[in-house]
Amino acid sequence: MASILQAQNVEKYYGNRGNLTRALAGVSFSVEEGEYVGVMGASGSGKTTLLNCISTIDTVTSGHIRIDGRDITEMGHRSLASFRRERLGFIFQDFNLLDTLTAYENIALALTIRKRSPREINMRVKEAAEILGISEVLTRYPYQMSGGQKQRVAGARALITNPALILADEPTGALDSKSARALLESFRRLVREKKATILMVTHDAFAACHCDRILFIRDGRLFHQLPRGRDTGKQFFDKIIEVVSLLGGETDDVN
Amino acid sequence: MMSIKLALRNVRKSLRDYLIYFLTLSLGVCIFYAFNSIESQQAVMEMTGSQMAALRLLSRIMNTFSVFVSVILSFLILYANGFLIKRRKKEFGLYMILGMEKWMTARILLFETLFVGVISLFAGLLLGVFLSQGMAVATARLLGAGIGSFRFVFSFSALAKTAGYFGLAFVFALLFNIEMLRRQKLIDLLYAAKKSEYFRAPRPGLSVLIFLLSLCCLGLSYKLVMANGLIASQGILTVCIVLGGAGTFLFFFSLSGFFLKLVQQSKRLYLKGLNMFILRQIASKINTAYVTMTLVCLMLFVSICTLSSGMGLADALSAELRGNTPFDATFSVRAADKSPDGAYTGVDLLAVARERGFDPGAGAYAAVRCYSADAPVVLRAEGVEKTVYPDFMKLSDFNAVLALQGIAPISLGADEYALNSGVHNEKWQRMLADYEAGGELELAGKRLRAAGDGLYAYTTEVSSIKDFTILAVVPDELLSDAPVKQDLLHINYPPGDGAYEKRCVSALLGFAPGGLEGNLETKVRLMEYSHSTTTTIAYLAIYLGVVSLLMAATVLAIGQLSEAGDNAGRYGLLRKIGVEDRMINTALFTQILICFGVPALPALVHAAVGIRAASKFVDIFGEMNILGSSLVAAFGIVTIYCMYFFATYAGSKRIVNKEYAHQRRITENE
Repeated sequence: MASILQAQNVEKYYGNRGNLTRALAGVSFSVEEGEYVGVMGASGSGKTTLLNCISTIDTVTSGHIRIDGRDITEMGHRSLASFRRERLGFIFQDFNLLDTLTAYENIALALTIRKRSPREINMRVKEAAEILGISEVLTRYPYQMSGGQKQRVAGARALITNPALILADEPTGALDSKSARALLESFRRLVREKKATILMVTHDAFAACHCDRILFIRDGRLFHQLPRGRDTGKQFFDKIIEVVSLLGGETDDVN
Repeated sequence: MMSIKLALRNVRKSLRDYLIYFLTLSLGVCIFYAFNSIESQQAVMEMTGSQMAALRLLSRIMNTFSVFVSVILSFLILYANGFLIKRRKKEFGLYMILGMEKWMTARILLFETLFVGVISLFAGLLLGVFLSQGMAVATARLLGAGIGSFRFVFSFSALAKTAGYFGLAFVFALLFNIEMLRRQKLIDLLYAAKKSEYFRAPRPGLSVLIFLLSLCCLGLSYKLVMANGLIASQGILTVCIVLGGAGTFLFFFSLSGFFLKLVQQSKRLYLKGLNMFILRQIASKINTAYVTMTLVCLMLFVSICTLSSGMGLADALSAELRGNTPFDATFSVRAADKSPDGAYTGVDLLAVARERGFDPGAGAYAAVRCYSADAPVVLRAEGVEKTVYPDFMKLSDFNAVLALQGIAPISLGADEYALNSGVHNEKWQRMLADYEAGGELELAGKRLRAAGDGLYAYTTEVSSIKDFTILAVVPDELLSDAPVKQDLLHINYPPGDGAYEKRCVSALLGFAPGGLEGNLETKVRLMEYSHSTTTTIAYLAIYLGVVSLLMAATVLAIGQLSEAGDNAGRYGLLRKIGVEDRMINTALFTQILICFGVPALPALVHAAVGIRAASKFVDIFGEMNILGSSLVAAFGIVTIYCMYFFATYAGSKRIVNKEYAHQRRITENE
């Protein structure tokens, strides 16, 4: 399988000469096509910085990030914007749906700004809605939907452009456990049926145990990797909890 | 000291937020000053006593209306100020969390208001002073006064008044701000930005229906106005206004839903770029802002109408005057309305004039006589017959009147008559064009028939309004026994004699022996009177028109800017899902353009109908050339409106891009 994402010795410093903060201290890993990877770590561990660097919102200080064969650390401002639009999909913790648009329109917007034909848009919106189980709510506005439905609409918006990589930042953060489960299951189906590649940042062990592999970050370094292998959900969950408790140390915020 | 520093920095920082505030204030101050400095403009004019009196009257009228205008402008200042405060609630919350007392926050606010107030007051006054230089020339021309050597016009009293009124408005704004701060809870200040507006989905099906209904209302109202004009009965006019107002309201109420439905029909248009987003954006906005839109539309309508037809009316009045003064003076004597016996046997006006120490002989003159007789004529035009009761004049007298104007005499056969009316209006012109034949006229036992081209439209006397009477011109001998109605003495002054007018006026003005009524109209006096009227009308129209335009534009701009906060989140979201800056700016531009255009278009249509109706009304006074003045008015309106549009765009762009720019700066600084 081809590798979609390759991070090579990524470093990120904040601040100036007098007061330097090292957010990422040489992180290297890769994600294969069709893989569902979780990133876990305590607050301040650098996981959000990592996600920002990968999603081209932030720039690295040194090191390289290759997505779909292209080195995003060497692209200009302009080509980054178009790269972000064409090759990446985003899912945010707080849904980020436009309150003035219906679910259908929210999903379609991702395609209209890419200048696709109306027929193609219609077809693909319906298809994405089918996979994520939101066909019945397409005509509703965000304020008429539940949190889980909203997040799945956001998911549909992220995947509809067939991005090389979907980046999800704490997607279950604002959901109750039932909606979270439904969302995570639809993510799995996405990976299985559409061969989507997902990189999900979370600090919820339950959310993480749906992944194929988990990267643990601590103090800006890759601390541990945990592949799912042939574990059952329960076994995988227990292993994750074990690592998390190691990870947290005295500044644990995952209880 | 710290508060001053903070306040200064705040003003500099949010300069673009203050732009609308600044614009409204400066323009308000400018126009207020200019129209209040009229009296001091006499410094550059060379005026007669009556022109001076006219200027004083004008100045007094402007002062009276200024009170009204100042109330409106104060309201606008308060409105704009309220918006600024709302936008900065969080900042004030932060000051308070840092341990600042409320009175210290209030002091920062005080200094900020003061800075902006003083700056815009200065800018406005500066503009106003420049404007009043130009206005002095315009006033002189409108009043028909001469312009002396150039001198800088500055009115200290207008300055003091402007500063006083606006100072008062600032004090109100300040009190309002402090009261607002005092009442707010810290938590509300800090979380002010988080409270998003309650969004309600439109109901497209219903809105199509309402939209059609609104068009019906407007159509009916237009039709009524066009059919009946402005002199329709009070009842019909009220119905028109109610229908028009309701129609406009329903129009804006349903417009967004209707338009959305319409565009959604075309998937190609709807699913293109950010069209869908822009449409929804506007739909959600107009959905809540239809009341504002209606008000803005009506204010624009008033502004366009007053500006163009006010100036048009002024034009019409002065154009008419030129037509109404074929001679330098007309002195006329007739029986007074309430004379005891009513019988008038005629007065020799030349003798009267000489007796009173004025000999018209130095110039050219014509003394003529009008007779009355109970002899109706039937006119036939466009197949409709109309009976008129004309006054009568001898052919020789009529020709003398024409000769004094340098017009060739007319001739009549022994059994012919001709008709003349000084009214140049459309109706008479049409009658002239379609004149088939007059009926026969029976006078002194003789039957007369209409002469071949027996319908004339000459002005036969100097008078302040159009002469509506119809004059029948007949052979001299037929009137020898007819009762005299009026004696007229038309005079043309000898060229170069400046004192002639004065002699004439002092001799003949106020001549009224028992039972008689004398009337002297001179060209000079009419001109001065008319100039005073036209100037007053034109200036009032401009003053009120511009103020209502300012009001409309400010309300609209601030409405847009207050929404920009909500929009910032939405536009930020677009950026997150990969929309380019250029596309976002275009969308923002389009959105604001539509919001400025939507109330303007119906206002234009309303105004077009209103002006047409008004021009029919004005037509009574003379033809109104609405085109020239409309173009001037349009230019002014568009300029001010565009200024507000761009200021709003700049402000919204700043609000929308703020977060993002901030973020980018951080990353680029590394």
